[in-house]
Amino acid sequence: MKTYIQTSAEITDYSRLPLHKRFAVPDLLYVGYGLLIVALVLVSYVLGMFNLLPHDPQQINMGLLMAPPGTEGYWLGTDFMGRDIQSRLILGIQAYFLPGLLAVFIALSGGIVLGVLSGYRGGYSETAITYLTNLIDSFPRLVLILLVIAAFKPDIYYIMSVMGITGIPAVANAIAGKIRFLAQKNYIESARALGLRTRVIILKHILWYNCRALLIIQATLGMGEAILLETSLSYLGFGVQEPTPSWGNMVQSGANYFMQGNFWPSTAPALAILFTILGFNLLGDGLNNILEGKRGR
Amino acid sequence: MPKPILEVHQLRKHFSRRRGLLSAFNRRGDTIPAVDGVSFYLRENETMGLVGESGCGKTTVARTILRLTDPTSGRIEFDGRDITHLTDSELRPLRKDMQMIFQDLDAGLNPKMRVSDILKEAITVHERVSDAEVGIKARLLLDQVNLKYSKLSSYPAELSGGEKRRVGIARVLAVGARLIVADEPTSALDVSIQAQVVNLLRDLQQQLGLSYLFISHDLQVVELMSDKVAVMYLGKIVEMGLTGRVASAARHPYTYILWSSLVEKQNREATQTGHHERRAAWGVFDYERPFRGCRFAPRCPVYEKRGRPAECTDPANEPQLRDVGGGHQVACHFPLGS
Amino acid sequence: MMAQPLLKIDNLRTYFYSRSKQSFVRSVDGVSLEVGQGETVGVVGESGSGKSITAMSVMGLISGGPGVIGGSIHYASARVQRNLLQGLENFVQVEESNGRVMAVRKDERGWQKASEKLLQGMRGKEIAMIFQNPRAALNPYISVGEQISEAVQLHGGTRNHKEAREQAIHWLERVRIDSPRLRYNAYPSGMSGGMCQRAMIAMALSSAPSLLIADEPTTGLDATIQSKIVDLLEELKAATGISTLLISHDISVITRLSDRVAVLYGGAVVEYGPARQVLGGDYSSKHPYTAALLASVPNAQKIRDRSHLQAIEGEVLDTINVPPGCRFFARCNQITPQIRDKCAAIHPPLQDMAPGHQVRCWRFVEGK
Repeated sequence: MKTYIQTSAEITDYSRLPLHKRFAVPDLLYVGYGLLIVALVLVSYVLGMFNLLPHDPQQINMGLLMAPPGTEGYWLGTDFMGRDIQSRLILGIQAYFLPGLLAVFIALSGGIVLGVLSGYRGGYSETAITYLTNLIDSFPRLVLILLVIAAFKPDIYYIMSVMGITGIPAVANAIAGKIRFLAQKNYIESARALGLRTRVIILKHILWYNCRALLIIQATLGMGEAILLETSLSYLGFGVQEPTPSWGNMVQSGANYFMQGNFWPSTAPALAILFTILGFNLLGDGLNNILEGKRGR
Repeated sequence: MPKPILEVHQLRKHFSRRRGLLSAFNRRGDTIPAVDGVSFYLRENETMGLVGESGCGKTTVARTILRLTDPTSGRIEFDGRDITHLTDSELRPLRKDMQMIFQDLDAGLNPKMRVSDILKEAITVHERVSDAEVGIKARLLLDQVNLKYSKLSSYPAELSGGEKRRVGIARVLAVGARLIVADEPTSALDVSIQAQVVNLLRDLQQQLGLSYLFISHDLQVVELMSDKVAVMYLGKIVEMGLTGRVASAARHPYTYILWSSLVEKQNREATQTGHHERRAAWGVFDYERPFRGCRFAPRCPVYEKRGRPAECTDPANEPQLRDVGGGHQVACHFPLGS
Repeated sequence: MMAQPLLKIDNLRTYFYSRSKQSFVRSVDGVSLEVGQGETVGVVGESGSGKSITAMSVMGLISGGPGVIGGSIHYASARVQRNLLQGLENFVQVEESNGRVMAVRKDERGWQKASEKLLQGMRGKEIAMIFQNPRAALNPYISVGEQISEAVQLHGGTRNHKEAREQAIHWLERVRIDSPRLRYNAYPSGMSGGMCQRAMIAMALSSAPSLLIADEPTTGLDATIQSKIVDLLEELKAATGISTLLISHDISVITRLSDRVAVLYGGAVVEYGPARQVLGGDYSSKHPYTAALLASVPNAQKIRDRSHLQAIEGEVLDTINVPPGCRFFARCNQITPQIRDKCAAIHPPLQDMAPGHQVRCWRFVEGK
């Protein structure tokens, strides 16, 4: 049984409707949750940057090994060296935050340049860029990262640069597709016929008005992916090295004690990873539905 | 006699079919002649209709004239100035004078911009105007196209088809264009709205002294709008002249079929008389067919009736437009009524 | 006219729901019309008048909620007699206030299931449909002839593959496709729009349906092709005696082919009657909308005089905010002071003007 209800007899101004009536409720929940996570990450990053932590994350406290969550002063407990897990979680954000932003920046800026060239210029540049993006896409990302690690050093910024470069094709294709769609509807041609400069058409009409939603979505999804990659590599020992905390190496070091019943040193960072990546992805998904009008009519 | 505002000489536009990276080395790549030697002129304050079936190249003519795409060869003169080879930046000041109305109602109406922003952009694109003046001018434009001021704050998605078309026209007027190329401006609209737009375009022409190149497949609307009309078939003009004469005393068999099909669709009586042309219009366009002689011959009832004369398919002897009296030109070896 | 019409649509209502506007789109709001045996009924109207949605409702092709919410569609051919909406009202609850639908509760799965059962053996076999964009309606990967012979086999013409092929070729010939044996193997992409429409018509008629629904059969085709398609439809109608529900915005097509005409505006029939009376004849006994619509089409006289077209002012009705009174009220130019209040407040009933000719306008209601 499905119910459709009209709220009033006459509706004239649709923009005055409350948010939950204009958009699907799940999307609003997604975005709300996502924004909460992003805010938490931002605040924690700033706290970590200025070392405003409940405890020194490196301080080894032999008297308090493996304190369970809820221990006084140690809200999430301590690990096998008695270090405060909460402080280490907050500091762990340093490991992926800036590198993740770098990856997103590279993917977006490279994607914008290539996408605009391909979609707007067309012809041979379109062909060449298609081949280039296909080439990038056909390299397994992980192999590429391992190559870079082997050739240079296991530096997170190198890894994230590779991640950004391999993210370029997706952005470029999305933007080129959008431009082709706009061209098909004669948006671009009519802007040219009006006498607008190419720069104005690309920056204002294409990127600002028609691609901003797409770019925001790509950025949130890219950030989620970057976090996943950083934590995976740290877990495997290629990323951030002990004693500097990262969520990945925290899970790894805690895992040894998991079977002994001391589940929290690995579970806490694992859940942090789960909820954070979920937050970024849901934010992207919800924004996609709301900004691009994907759901409902 | 007013001077021509637009002159087109032997305009050609061939689209390349080459695709892929390696095709750059393949110089023999085949091309589609979308426009194949079109010449005409348009005087100031005059309307020229361009009719033809879909795929005959009429939209390509429009886009080439406005240099939205580069012609393969030929010459385009605007106000006596050759604009065929101007660069984009040289063209920009000219865009003030020549504008295009697109078939797509949404063309030019960025969905994320309000009507006021759309008009503001058009008003300020060629000259610096203060915000207060923009407001005054935008209202003036809305008056000209009979739209309520309240629409200024609407987004394109909130407008109906007719309103979108009016905003599109206002946007073109905002620039101050003297020549407007209108590509099927009414085909996406309902009948009752179509009439509004046709009336509006005619009123604006009288008030502002505009010149129109009016492209449409709707023969009645073209007849109503135009002083002259040119009939295109597969990239070539096959007949051109004053509207009344082309419509009522067509000399080219294709023009004749085009207009009689209109009558046939309307009343049963006409069908009986037009029976022998019945089979004519069935063929499929085939661009890859090398054009040998008259390109209408395969569908031409006169060609059949005359027992397939050799002139019609002689590759060296494609019929050219020639005057048959009173500026009425026709490209046919055996024009009707002679 | 026969006592029992082939198709009798009564008070059909098909609504959609706009989520962003939190309100119903009243696409079809109480349409009643009949198609008699061997008759062609033209349905004319502008975009948003509900003409296509009416046809889709008959075929049970509405997707999107709530869809059909009431009315009846009685179908009575020699083989099948049934109400295509029989018992379906059990699946819908409609709440109204002041004659306006305010809420609809619909068991969509139950409705779908029951509707499928009622439509069994109807689609394609009893009622065939041709669409506006024939190329999109044909499968691009199967040759046209193959598709027609498939339809022949499916709808019981014959099970034999060879026979079906011969019948398909016969139909290709009947719709005047050149060298049908060669064209049998052609694919839709290799055929012009007009040819595809001919193939669609062949496919629709190959199962010998009793009713053909032609939804904008000439729209989007070139002028010369349009008149040929109209010729073909007329010829086939004479040859097979099929009943047709012809939907078009093109008044010339409707005029040429229809016996009776229904003029739709804003989801309701505003004028209904013999084609000659509705589309020709005296302007004074017409609905103001019909009169204005006919006046807005350019004709030879207006072209000769280069006179202004008589446009209908205002915009096509927004079917979300349907006014309580006459739907044409905002654009009407024939409102007199005596009836003004009525026009604004009450939806007028269909009024008999002459036998079989009805107009929905307060001007013609007795004792105004």
